[in-house]
Amino acid sequence: MALTGVEIFKLLPKTNCKKCGFPTCLAFAMKLAQRQASIDLCPDVSEDAKQKLGEASAPPVRPITFGAGDKAVKMGEETVLFRHDKRFVNPCAFALEIKDTLSEADISSRIEEVLNSEIERVGQRLRIDAVALINDSHDVGRFEAAAKIVAKKACDVPVIICAGNPGAAEAAVKLFVDKKPIIYGANSENAEAMANIAKTYKATLGVTASSAFGGSGGGLDELSTLTEKIKSLGIEDIVIDSGARKAKEIIEDNTLIRRAAIKKNFKPLGYPVITFAQRGDSLIEALIGAIGVAKYSSIIVLSNIEKWKNLALFTLRQNLYTDPQVPMQVEQKIYKIGEPMPDSPLLITTNFSLTYFIVSGEIENSKIPSYLAVMDCEGLSVLTAWAAGKFTAAKIAQFIKESGVENTIKHRELIIPGYVAILSGAIQDKLEGWKITVGPREANGIPAFLRSRAA
Amino acid sequence: MLIIGEKLSIMAKRVREAMMNKDRGPIQDIATAQWKAGADMIDANIGPAEEGGESLMEWVVTTIQEVVPLPISLDTTNYRAIEAGLKVHNKEWGRPLINSTSNDPERFPILELAAKYNAQIIGLTVGKGGLPADAEERAAIAAEIMARAMEYGVPLEDLYLDPLVLQIATSQDHALKVIKAIRIFQELNDPPMKTVVGLSNVSNGCPKQLRPILNSHFLSLLMYEGLTAAIADPHEIAPTVKTINVILGKTLYAHSYLEM
Amino acid sequence: MAFTPPKETYIGRVHAVTIGVGDKTVTFGGENVLPFHTFEGIAPNRPVIAYEIQDIPPTDWPENVQKPYEGVSNDPVTWAKFCQDVLKVKAIALRLIGTHPDRENRSHEDAARTVRDVLSAIDIPLIILGSNHTEKDAPVLVAAAEAAKDRNCIIGKAQEANYKTIVAAAMANNHKLIAMSELDVNLSKQLNILITQMGFDRERLITDPMCSALGYGLEYTYSVMERIRLAALTQNDIAMQPPMLGDIGMYVWKVKETQASETDLPHWGPAEERGMAWEAVTAMVLLLAGAELLIMRHPKAVEVVEKVIEELI
Repeated sequence: MALTGVEIFKLLPKTNCKKCGFPTCLAFAMKLAQRQASIDLCPDVSEDAKQKLGEASAPPVRPITFGAGDKAVKMGEETVLFRHDKRFVNPCAFALEIKDTLSEADISSRIEEVLNSEIERVGQRLRIDAVALINDSHDVGRFEAAAKIVAKKACDVPVIICAGNPGAAEAAVKLFVDKKPIIYGANSENAEAMANIAKTYKATLGVTASSAFGGSGGGLDELSTLTEKIKSLGIEDIVIDSGARKAKEIIEDNTLIRRAAIKKNFKPLGYPVITFAQRGDSLIEALIGAIGVAKYSSIIVLSNIEKWKNLALFTLRQNLYTDPQVPMQVEQKIYKIGEPMPDSPLLITTNFSLTYFIVSGEIENSKIPSYLAVMDCEGLSVLTAWAAGKFTAAKIAQFIKESGVENTIKHRELIIPGYVAILSGAIQDKLEGWKITVGPREANGIPAFLRSRAA
Repeated sequence: MLIIGEKLSIMAKRVREAMMNKDRGPIQDIATAQWKAGADMIDANIGPAEEGGESLMEWVVTTIQEVVPLPISLDTTNYRAIEAGLKVHNKEWGRPLINSTSNDPERFPILELAAKYNAQIIGLTVGKGGLPADAEERAAIAAEIMARAMEYGVPLEDLYLDPLVLQIATSQDHALKVIKAIRIFQELNDPPMKTVVGLSNVSNGCPKQLRPILNSHFLSLLMYEGLTAAIADPHEIAPTVKTINVILGKTLYAHSYLEM
Repeated sequence: MAFTPPKETYIGRVHAVTIGVGDKTVTFGGENVLPFHTFEGIAPNRPVIAYEIQDIPPTDWPENVQKPYEGVSNDPVTWAKFCQDVLKVKAIALRLIGTHPDRENRSHEDAARTVRDVLSAIDIPLIILGSNHTEKDAPVLVAAAEAAKDRNCIIGKAQEANYKTIVAAAMANNHKLIAMSELDVNLSKQLNILITQMGFDRERLITDPMCSALGYGLEYTYSVMERIRLAALTQNDIAMQPPMLGDIGMYVWKVKETQASETDLPHWGPAEERGMAWEAVTAMVLLLAGAELLIMRHPKAVEVVEKVIEELI
């Protein structure tokens, strides 16, 4: 059982020495309870306390870092089945499969695709995170040759070495020393050999029950036995594959794995899940990938990464991994709704994304092209932002002045939300030459309001 | 339990107009009514008050204390307005309360005022951007605010931790999290930390006839967990406070306990 | 360590709703488990996807989703017959968008005539939608409900501001009804309560918690749907047990990702696949959240979603 912050506090030295970077032992203990800090930061804690804490603070899904450097991916650490219960923590990684049966040129061009996959969306840089190199040829030399190309051309991209043959796995993993790769392919037949290689090369081990997979649910029992065996061989960092490939099986196995880990604290399945989503039809592959994003996969392997598919899957991952407690924010700027002219109306609201979606939607409905000034209020809605001192006359005036909107529009009229009618005088005082008009309180009043002005 | 009367808020139209026109009548009427109904302190919420905050707070504090012998809770994000209020506050009626500091760096300096003027202060357990997800996150923020209070020389006995009550209509799950936070907050120090809530926010946005029901039942659960103070409407909660105090053995029962 | 699958037992059940008449009826809902969790309960009916058509030509739809209906979409009757006879769809959703005051402001008599004409041309179930203008929808949907009397259609959408007349019309003419609220689980429950308090049978209701497109608030719809479905199943909340609607097409086909050309945004790839993927992924994700009835536009997007549903059941 996890310890509470106060229980952890009792195990700490209580010297408030600040060496951990926190102002007091109590504040540090609270962060430990949240798993937002590591006990290693405390130089003075007793070994006994450390052990107690270590056991108690092990998260239900083991945290694993995949890859090294800037492109490393964090996985695991999930604590809920439904995002509204708290949040999904570490966004899943997408990997492109590269078969060693491909020609050197084809391998290179697929690597290029991965390297060029990065796009920006709502301020985040998103990309295909990894490469899954597959020993499709069942030939060691060929696999090693393909691995060399990957190691050379994609040296900082995390790699999954997919091989059931320990010899092939070892030949490839040698090329990724200190890169924290995943060796995927440990099963009941090769477990010892694969574990030894993973241990020697400090790799994460991908464990699969797929060879023995025979119908729904059957894989999880075997998988649990396997991960326990591999753990007993000294391997801590594991990712798991139940063998589920059909959509129905992915949902079933991934749900049971997540539930067992979180609700039953069942350690043998408390690892990130890898899902193989490759399909002949790329649109269907996108949908299987979407199931993985929503239903608990930590790595999703794809056979092709068309730009349209990446955009859809990246966007979905971003949506579902948004913290429901942190209001989603839109960028502070002057948005154009329709094709506004210099004499079009200018409205202002806050940058809470739901507020923005609703206000901009209602302006669209009005069919009156307009400018919408969206001001950074840390994602709070209008009334809350006002009460918190973020949406005040001085701040609004400053934003309008600095936004440059005065160069875009001819008029000097600003329409403010009806809820902050109280601010109109103060804004007018601070924005010289401007007229402040009070708009409707609720967004659904905007179409009538704008149309009556235009009439 | 300490009742901090909530009715002098700029969010209410009558109060807003009185504050804008410096009309003493309504302010004094409302303050007096809350005092008679059992308030131990009066919350004066003047909003962010960017313009003329200092003179407004000065005016509000003196206007209230002219007729009501109670300390004031100075409720604004405006540092200078708080200081102006503290300067004129009549300590004969008790120590003032600052509402509030938080884990937002913009609100840290307010702790200076508590130390300088020997005032009590509310620490709202929110950071910059985003709401605390659960009781544990609130407790983690509380621990940081406590550490900062000590740095600024504010004794922990003068700090009231506020878990931030959210609306049941939109954030139902937070009601239980707030109750749990009140329990955890007290464990953060010995003697236990003091706690406070802005009670009526739980029913904000609910139909009028439901609001007293929600407020009172929520308060019962919070009092059971050991809540120290509530910013609330004393008229509305007096029967609940008296009844829970009887049930918890904090007042001696008599058939007429509600009339006392 | 032996693994015991941690299965859940649910105490509630989603209502099964049947629409249409004769041998062309379709049924959705009826499950007592979370979406596609057939390993721990039963889901007797697969989700239903209805094709969206409208009473006026779809000039406001992006070209890539107008194309599949070229030559038939100028008239709702030929459009509906094309869906039924050529695309072999299971149900049609007729949106009376032309009644919107900002569109053609067609009268409720016009709307009733369109409904009558479409119904006389098809024998598959019909969903009749207003233009989402709360004032105008009231007379339009009342007239449409009367025109469709006893064809066991779905009428929608009743909202807080206009539900009373629409509920009465659906009740009087033996239809099912969509109750829509705006991305708020509590308001959704409240509206369902108000509607059943008027005497409307809760087993004839369909909940629309409001759709959003991938990238434009989809996570809100997703979580509201999950919460509604959990309330229905784990708390046996009878107000939350109607099946849910995902009105996908109209939200998806107005966002930038389904419209912008590849010339303008080369890093987004070809617009045609992008648009289909946008609609299909949005649909898939809402099915996972609990939607049992979807309204979609692009035949290819529907086709792939149907294939994956096949895999899921």
